[in-house]
Amino acid sequence: MRRRSFCKLLGSLAAGSLVHGVTETHAALFRSPVTTNRLRPPGAVAEEDFVGRCIRCGRCVESCPYRCITMLDIRQGVHAGTPLIAVEQIPCYLCMKCVKVCPTGTLRPVAQEDTRMGTAVINTFTCAAWAGVALCRTCYDVCPFKGRAIALHELLPKVVPEACTGCGLCTHACPVTMDNGLKAINIEPPTEGSRS
Amino acid sequence: MNPLAARSPVVPKKRGRYATLRRLALAGAFLLLLVNPLLNYHWGITFIQGWYQSLGIGELRLVSPLEGLESLLIARQVYVPTLIAMAIPLLVALLLGRVFCSWICPISFLAEMVEGIRRRIAGKTVLRDRLILTRRLLWLALIGELLLSLILGAPLFVFLSPPGLVGRELMMAIYFQRLAWEGVLVLAVLALELVTRRIYCRSFCPLGGLLALVGLSRRLVVDHQVNRCTGCGRCDRACPLGLKVSLGESRSAYCWNCGACIDHCDHGSLRFVWRGGRDR
Repeated sequence: MRRRSFCKLLGSLAAGSLVHGVTETHAALFRSPVTTNRLRPPGAVAEEDFVGRCIRCGRCVESCPYRCITMLDIRQGVHAGTPLIAVEQIPCYLCMKCVKVCPTGTLRPVAQEDTRMGTAVINTFTCAAWAGVALCRTCYDVCPFKGRAIALHELLPKVVPEACTGCGLCTHACPVTMDNGLKAINIEPPTEGSRS
Repeated sequence: MNPLAARSPVVPKKRGRYATLRRLALAGAFLLLLVNPLLNYHWGITFIQGWYQSLGIGELRLVSPLEGLESLLIARQVYVPTLIAMAIPLLVALLLGRVFCSWICPISFLAEMVEGIRRRIAGKTVLRDRLILTRRLLWLALIGELLLSLILGAPLFVFLSPPGLVGRELMMAIYFQRLAWEGVLVLAVLALELVTRRIYCRSFCPLGGLLALVGLSRRLVVDHQVNRCTGCGRCDRACPLGLKVSLGESRSAYCWNCGACIDHCDHGSLRFVWRGGRDR
């Protein structure tokens, strides 16, 4: 009896780990690379449609004059070959060249101010201005929609989500870098339905 | 003497006429993949962009038919610019058959290089194909690839196609000074070349399958004139796809109009013809 229960335990453990392994691999194969500060180029379709529509032709990567768009490889599973922007490294300058060359409509022509690659979010605990460490307003100064997307309220920068394009110029310029690589102002990718 | 020689005078040898032309085309097409990212990246000359998944020449866009089809099927939405960009490649396949495969595809170029090296090492003019698979596998590859992509909801050929990968790896090497891991697929395809000539192109390439399907009733075919044929079998041995040209298989869906059999025929019984609409 004890042997049987031991075998049962062993069997369930093996089956459990197998199922767990398969689901983990499956999740890793399909997990979207879009997270904080890791964004799709302007005018992208919703993230759940991106993987099916993009043909990985690399035209947007080649056309980006700032080289901010990079290309993922097979380590990103089915997202291999899709474009991604790491805004804290090179932000998007909204030149809108990539949306013009996309042959599949994965990136659609969009006006600069209507771009919604994400939304900037200020970490008020680490931001030098909000923490009272310095009179820093770097993000406000570099914002292409200065005063509209980032406004100053009593010398403190505040993001206006309705006007923020998510270009990441503020993230790139922010002087505060935390241990995990995040800045004091980061771009959160758009939630479902709010993309353009 | 060959009794047939009197009846069919030996045509003056123009050995390798199409082979030379085709190698020039293949080399040019490969060079474009190599030179173009350099021009783009270092000199900012962006008139031509992309590779054979999507090529942009000025305002003209070309999209590889299978990649475009996958994108349209999975997005379940008709996007007219993609359709327009697919039109020229499809028209070429409709009239000329799988000529992309034999005259442009970078895998074809690399495979011919491997074949040349293999020939030189072996010291033989004719290489033996060690593994012969049924050619119908080509259709299975096409259908299987499309079905699998639709089930997964993610197109597979767009990031795993060996012809596309050659272009992507070259671009990545020049733009980011690194290579992507999926490039080992290209090496695997080239390694298979040591077993059988163009075994990937013969049986496994979904794009080749789609182009063959579109080119089923192509206008340009290799015509076999039976009355001039001496049955020497040189064409059969020359065909990189292993088609029995002497049995008329050059008119089948699988022929990619490379012209290797024409080059190897000493009796002028093979030639390219433009067939009309009716006489299939």
